[in-house]
Amino acid sequence: MSDAGAPTWRLPPRWVLLVAVLSIVAAEVGGGAMARFKVELTRWARDGMLARPGVHGLVGVRDVDERILDEALVKFDAGLRLFHMHAEGMGLVIIATSMVAATVIQRAAARRAIIALLTVGGAGYPVGYLAWSALIPAYGLERSKAIAEWLVWVPFGTATIVALWGLVGCVAWTMLARRRA
Amino acid sequence: MLALGETAGAAMSRLKPEIERYAAGRVAANPGAHGFSGSAEYDDEVRERAVFTAEAGLSFFHLHGEGVGLVLFFASSLVAAVVPGRRARAALYALLTFGGLFPIGYVVYGAAVLELGRDAGVELAERWILAPLGLAAIAGLVGLAFALARPRV
Repeated sequence: MSDAGAPTWRLPPRWVLLVAVLSIVAAEVGGGAMARFKVELTRWARDGMLARPGVHGLVGVRDVDERILDEALVKFDAGLRLFHMHAEGMGLVIIATSMVAATVIQRAAARRAIIALLTVGGAGYPVGYLAWSALIPAYGLERSKAIAEWLVWVPFGTATIVALWGLVGCVAWTMLARRRA
Repeated sequence: MLALGETAGAAMSRLKPEIERYAAGRVAANPGAHGFSGSAEYDDEVRERAVFTAEAGLSFFHLHGEGVGLVLFFASSLVAAVVPGRRARAALYALLTFGGLFPIGYVVYGAAVLELGRDAGVELAERWILAPLGLAAIAGLVGLAFALARPRV
């Protein structure tokens, strides 16, 4: 920083940066694969759904079934898109917020805990969208969403939110302590 | 802003029925603002459009909260690193921080749509919140671009 006496940014541990970059790489690969293999992915999902008509409520009437299949395929595609978007975004969020935590939080235990939660939560959360998409053909829309929600989105999302508000508290505390000193 | 954006995303997902119910309730409480005609079919369509717009406001808040938070973080780091002169830095920090509040405009957007009607609510949020805050962010980023483009001595 240019201000005299102001601290410079501290880097978080190397593994945190690696996880963040891997998340961005996975997002890029996911985005590329979505575009390149759109037809193959759609065919795979459609075949999976047709193989389990009971799960998806298919009745054997073309007009009805096509509507159900279309809706499920839109959700399947949305899950892949949301994975792409969230993995890119959360990779950047991990880098930015873990730098703030590494720079601002003085207590080692608190710093380690918040950085770990930010990294694990941030990298894990987008995987839920991938899991949701992958599970739709086998489990149907609602069940796959519930599985992704309780196994991935709730735990990893909660970790991120708790860590971010903890970081907000630490930054505010540091500002107050500096003003008092 | 990142924390608010994350929390809004979680709320959107976990509290979707409650948010929809609240939004529909607010629309019903302001029939004049939404131009209800008394025809159930027409009024239902108006209600659905208003609730959808309010939900879109929350969704934009989630998206922009995360994105603008990151832009603010990286841009202000660049200002600290490359802009000479305390006053110039302070001005750019102020513009970027003011611009960093831009996503709040979408919360106002969602709430105003429910209270004032779709068109009036969107107009209010765009004119009085989103435009000034967005212009501040743009001015801050343009100032940073000028600082980066200046030849170094």
